[in-house]
Amino acid sequence: MIATRFMELRRRRGLMIALIGVTIGIPTIFLAVRLLLHALAPKTYGPAGGYNIYTAMVAGVLYVFGFIVAATLGCTAGSVDITEGMFRHLVVTGRSRLALYLARIPAGLAIIVPLVAIGFTVVCAVCVFAAPKSIQYDGVKVPPGLSLSGLENWAADHADTVVCQFPYNAPTLSIPCGNGPGGGQVFSGASGSAGSIQATPAAIKAQAVQIAKQDYSDYSRIFLYPSESLMIKSGLWIELEAVIGFTVGLGLSSLIGQRTVAVILMIILEVILTPIFSRVHIPHLSNLQRAVVGLATAHLEPGRLPLAFGGNRGGGSGSGSGVVDLLPESTTVAVCVIVAWLVGWTILGAWRMMTRDT
Amino acid sequence: MSTRALSGVSDGQAGASQYAVEAHGLVKRFGENVAVDQVDLLVPRGCAFGYLGPNGAGKTTLIRVLLGLTRADAGTMSLLGYAVPKERDKALARVGAIVDEPRFHGHLTGRENLLVLAAAREPAARDRVGPSLERVGLTRRANDRVAKYSMGMRQRLGVAACLIGDPQLLILDEPMNGLDPAGMHEMRDMIGSLVAEGRTVMLSSHLLDEVERTCDAVAIVDRGKVIRQGPITELLAGSSLEVQVECSQPDTARALLERTTIPARIRAETGGLVISLASGTGNDTIAEINRVLVESGIAVYRLQPVQASLEAWFLQVTSRLGAED
Repeated sequence: MIATRFMELRRRRGLMIALIGVTIGIPTIFLAVRLLLHALAPKTYGPAGGYNIYTAMVAGVLYVFGFIVAATLGCTAGSVDITEGMFRHLVVTGRSRLALYLARIPAGLAIIVPLVAIGFTVVCAVCVFAAPKSIQYDGVKVPPGLSLSGLENWAADHADTVVCQFPYNAPTLSIPCGNGPGGGQVFSGASGSAGSIQATPAAIKAQAVQIAKQDYSDYSRIFLYPSESLMIKSGLWIELEAVIGFTVGLGLSSLIGQRTVAVILMIILEVILTPIFSRVHIPHLSNLQRAVVGLATAHLEPGRLPLAFGGNRGGGSGSGSGVVDLLPESTTVAVCVIVAWLVGWTILGAWRMMTRDT
Repeated sequence: MSTRALSGVSDGQAGASQYAVEAHGLVKRFGENVAVDQVDLLVPRGCAFGYLGPNGAGKTTLIRVLLGLTRADAGTMSLLGYAVPKERDKALARVGAIVDEPRFHGHLTGRENLLVLAAAREPAARDRVGPSLERVGLTRRANDRVAKYSMGMRQRLGVAACLIGDPQLLILDEPMNGLDPAGMHEMRDMIGSLVAEGRTVMLSSHLLDEVERTCDAVAIVDRGKVIRQGPITELLAGSSLEVQVECSQPDTARALLERTTIPARIRAETGGLVISLASGTGNDTIAEINRVLVESGIAVYRLQPVQASLEAWFLQVTSRLGAED
């Protein structure tokens, strides 16, 4: 029965074109254009891939569109038997209505999970193979993937550049910028100290190493391309979002018996309600806000991705940067919320299918 | 309400019940509207049974209740001896049904639609898809999308959908709808062949003529109530007999007959009389009418008894019920 339900969905040409277009087509076209532009004018247009493109595509495109596409498929799977008059035929076969409902879940997931995976694979492939060759750290080209000692050695070799251009947070800068070989008296630095002190090359190197040591933490978070572990985690994360979108869409459309309204409600949930409830702290309703599934999945987002809804993870770190924190939520609570949504909507949809007059 | 068990139609097939469909005191309400009102229904196995009634009489609702598509508010029922809804799954495993107009996934072919339905039945159902399509004459169009099918083709696909379950009982709701005369003829033949195989076919319809040609027994439903049921021959035998008389001097003839003790209602028509006799009237009464007229010097040109058709009987029964209300 699952195989025929799969066939029934797969043969919906318009729906499948839309699903493929959004999950695979949009990222592919976007990346293809970037590849082309970079190939034609590499100085004007940066590389098509890389870590930054990856995070933007995953958190900004695949996450949201994957959910909407999965929800659309779920809403279709949950309502077409009713609207197309096939549900009666199926019910009078004697097969339990619960079995008829449950068969749609693996059938739909067998479509949406591979589609999202293909789109994600395209993004990963381009971001890895078309990644930039060097990274820019405060406008300075730096070799990627250096260890702390490696960065210190590189800083010692490029002491003048490091002293002048790398950020450094200290009360005073013992060696002002511009003391390198051939340098003029151009003083600058985090402390803003000024003067005409001439430093020895050894002192400049020592200062550069000190700066590199302090900046290593920031530097180590800059990658040419995403790591394997990040790709695996973020792949699983957007697949989880797709599974949630499909299951909730299936339950909702089964409950209300039609597709269009269900799809609109799902889009409103994902695009409007979830960002609002995730960032606006409503007094006395914070526990209700924590029950929003989008907030729960945002808390499960892999740590090196920019947050899907643009905030910081809870804890107040973003208060000074103008970015609002996500409502704090523990991982356990987030997992419980997700499971509750999956189970709850499945029960609701199945119950309605079992009790519906046809 | 006059309801009684049918007799003489069952083929004596072994089973938990001699009836393919059995319902007692069935009630289905939609708010204030009682769509099925205390229905007692007994459909013997192995016959074609018509469920007759005007539009809005509650035919489709009864079928939906029987199939578990909607819940009954009161009463008991069974299909093929299995209590419904308690043993609904067992019962429906050997039931094929079309409710309302047959609708399918338009983007799938006829064959694919049947495969979807076969997957919900036992594994052997998949092997019956081809033969079912062949039986209803859709093999050539089986790989066309259903969206391109005519209404008649969808009706036939609906019957094929019933057949993939190898049903002992088929419940067809208005199966003649949308069929042209040739299609109706084919459907009639198909129903006959299904009954000949020992299956029971219960069909609802408002097309009395078609039901009379197709079915062995009927139940008449009006405003949710079954008002008569039984084999057609027995029901019609219980209806009045009309005698058409062509004669000279019709007015004189009418006056003459009204003075006799013959139990008849007489009305004059152009060139003669129409005499309605009570059910069970024998040929002796007809001969007596002829004798009275001839001995009075009235020339009798033609004298013909006419058995009431199902349509006439139906109108007679339902109009009387309406008059009683």
